[in-house]
Amino acid sequence: MSEKLYAFLLRLFPSRFRQSYGEDALQLFRDRARHETGLPSRLRLWLDLLADLAISVPREYFYAQPELLSASAGQTPGSPSFHVLDNDAPRPGALVFGFALSVAALLTFSTLLNQGGQHRALRASASPRQSFASRATRHPASASPQAADDSSFSVAGETSQQAFASASASPAATTNAELPSMQNAQPTAVVVTPSTSPFFAARGSLENLQPDASSKPGATQDLIDAFERHRVITGATAALQQHYPDREIARKMAESLITHERRGDDNAAANGPIFATLLTRQMRDISNDLHLDVAYSGTPLPDNPDHRTPQAQAAYRDFLLQNNCTFAKVELLPGNIGYLRLDSFPELATCRKTAVAAMHQLNRANALIFDLRDNRGGEPQTVSFFASYLFDHPEYFYNPRENTSSASWTDSPVPGNLLADKPVYILTSSHTFSGAEQFCYDLKMLKRATLIGETTGGGAHAGVFHRLDDHFGIGIPEATPINPYSPADWAEVGVRPDVKVPAADALATAQKLALAKLQQK
Amino acid sequence: MPKRKLDPLPSAAFQILLALAGEDLHGYGIMRQVAAQTEGRLRLGPGTLYSSIQTLLEAKLIEELEPREDAALGTGRRRYYRLTTAGRKLARAEADRLADLLRVARTKKILRGEYV
Repeated sequence: MSEKLYAFLLRLFPSRFRQSYGEDALQLFRDRARHETGLPSRLRLWLDLLADLAISVPREYFYAQPELLSASAGQTPGSPSFHVLDNDAPRPGALVFGFALSVAALLTFSTLLNQGGQHRALRASASPRQSFASRATRHPASASPQAADDSSFSVAGETSQQAFASASASPAATTNAELPSMQNAQPTAVVVTPSTSPFFAARGSLENLQPDASSKPGATQDLIDAFERHRVITGATAALQQHYPDREIARKMAESLITHERRGDDNAAANGPIFATLLTRQMRDISNDLHLDVAYSGTPLPDNPDHRTPQAQAAYRDFLLQNNCTFAKVELLPGNIGYLRLDSFPELATCRKTAVAAMHQLNRANALIFDLRDNRGGEPQTVSFFASYLFDHPEYFYNPRENTSSASWTDSPVPGNLLADKPVYILTSSHTFSGAEQFCYDLKMLKRATLIGETTGGGAHAGVFHRLDDHFGIGIPEATPINPYSPADWAEVGVRPDVKVPAADALATAQKLALAKLQQK
Repeated sequence: MPKRKLDPLPSAAFQILLALAGEDLHGYGIMRQVAAQTEGRLRLGPGTLYSSIQTLLEAKLIEELEPREDAALGTGRRRYYRLTTAGRKLARAEADRLADLLRVARTKKILRGEYV
């Protein structure tokens, strides 16, 4: 009876221990039970056994784990098994491998984090699809007579426009690169398109061509054939691989363009503007880069789009001098609100005096309104010049066309300037374009100005123009400036106003807001 | 995983080594020998006894012999254990350590002379 009881108690031990010593333990019990008879001895025997159980059972379990595991692994051969590490230190090789693995994992993680973050931001702010929608609505507009009017350097009224236009049509000769672009050297190309404004001219931006390209879509001379398509695609892939900053993406885009051609995706594009739009979309599908663009020009492109002439330069200067450097109006409105209507950002070489005088005239204003509703852009240097008046310390001014450098900061503070802390309002319209949009975008992002009016035109003009053949060109961004706000800027989507009103009502709204703000003080 | 430790040597393990110093014994024999050499103060229960034996075997301080019949007890074959050279060495070292302790205790007048 008591032996059976002890045999039962023995089951408390780990199976490993029972396998090895269960029989021996039972035999020891039998031996003792046989020799130790009588009640006191029996009592002592059981006390001994219970004390022994109390001590050894937990201890056996504490030590038994590895044996248990290896026993179970051994019992089921062929099934997955665990190998328990011993107390021994890991081998040096294992430590080195573990270290290398950790570093690799860390690098992979941070790389993915970077890439992933950028892609999300791009998609969020400007998907190619949206941008195309905005393009589609913009271009027909610029083809209309009203827009065509605006698109010529429109500050000046008709006479000066004609003067400017005829000047631009004069024969070509070389000048320095800072010059406004008079790149349309054909005698027939009388209209100086909005984007021929100096802002991009130095870089020969492709956007210059677009109003022209869309002016007569579907016209018979725009028809293209497979040979021309092939020529354009060959040229575009070569230009991408030669000039695009990210080699890997350039390679992928080139591959994609070729694949689309082979598959016959391009066959439906029977005319130039449609084919240009199609190629642009194919490139952006890969890169998400809104600064990439293929454009079509109905009139043959000049051999060298960067080719500028002293005559054209002189004409541009004459135009500026005759038109007060496009300072259309400088005045103080009721409530001591300074009002500056600026229809371009003219080159400082010619217009510094005018600009300084204008800002001096407004220096004591309590608030400032910049009217850029008809401003089609201009010199980045001039954009930065005006921004310098609005800060009391140098401020980073993002420009999608220039690599980040010391010139990326405003020249603040301007000596004697009192405007650094005054409220600023900017009037915008859908014609506000290019350099004027840079002014709007940066001041909005820096929370230095309130934008009132309409979403702007959406011309970042970051691409450098490359001629592909007589009618096609490609704009490829080469600068990689730091945009502190988001990967996408206003390219294709424009700058959204803070207060959305029709452009015609923008001035009245700005005056109301400015007066209200000044009364609060 | 923790390993069974013999440093410091547990008293049960030391008693087993001492019990095996004279002759090879089986489990019950060791238990009786330990009880005898401690005048009945230490009676090893099966759990303590065999876990100590296992530890000592793993440390190669004792070795297991071919099971054989005990003439006096006579009920089946039993596993016998024998002290190894290493075991004997360890037991001697432990005894030396205790002797040192004893010497210290005696100089501190904790022990009366006749006990040693």
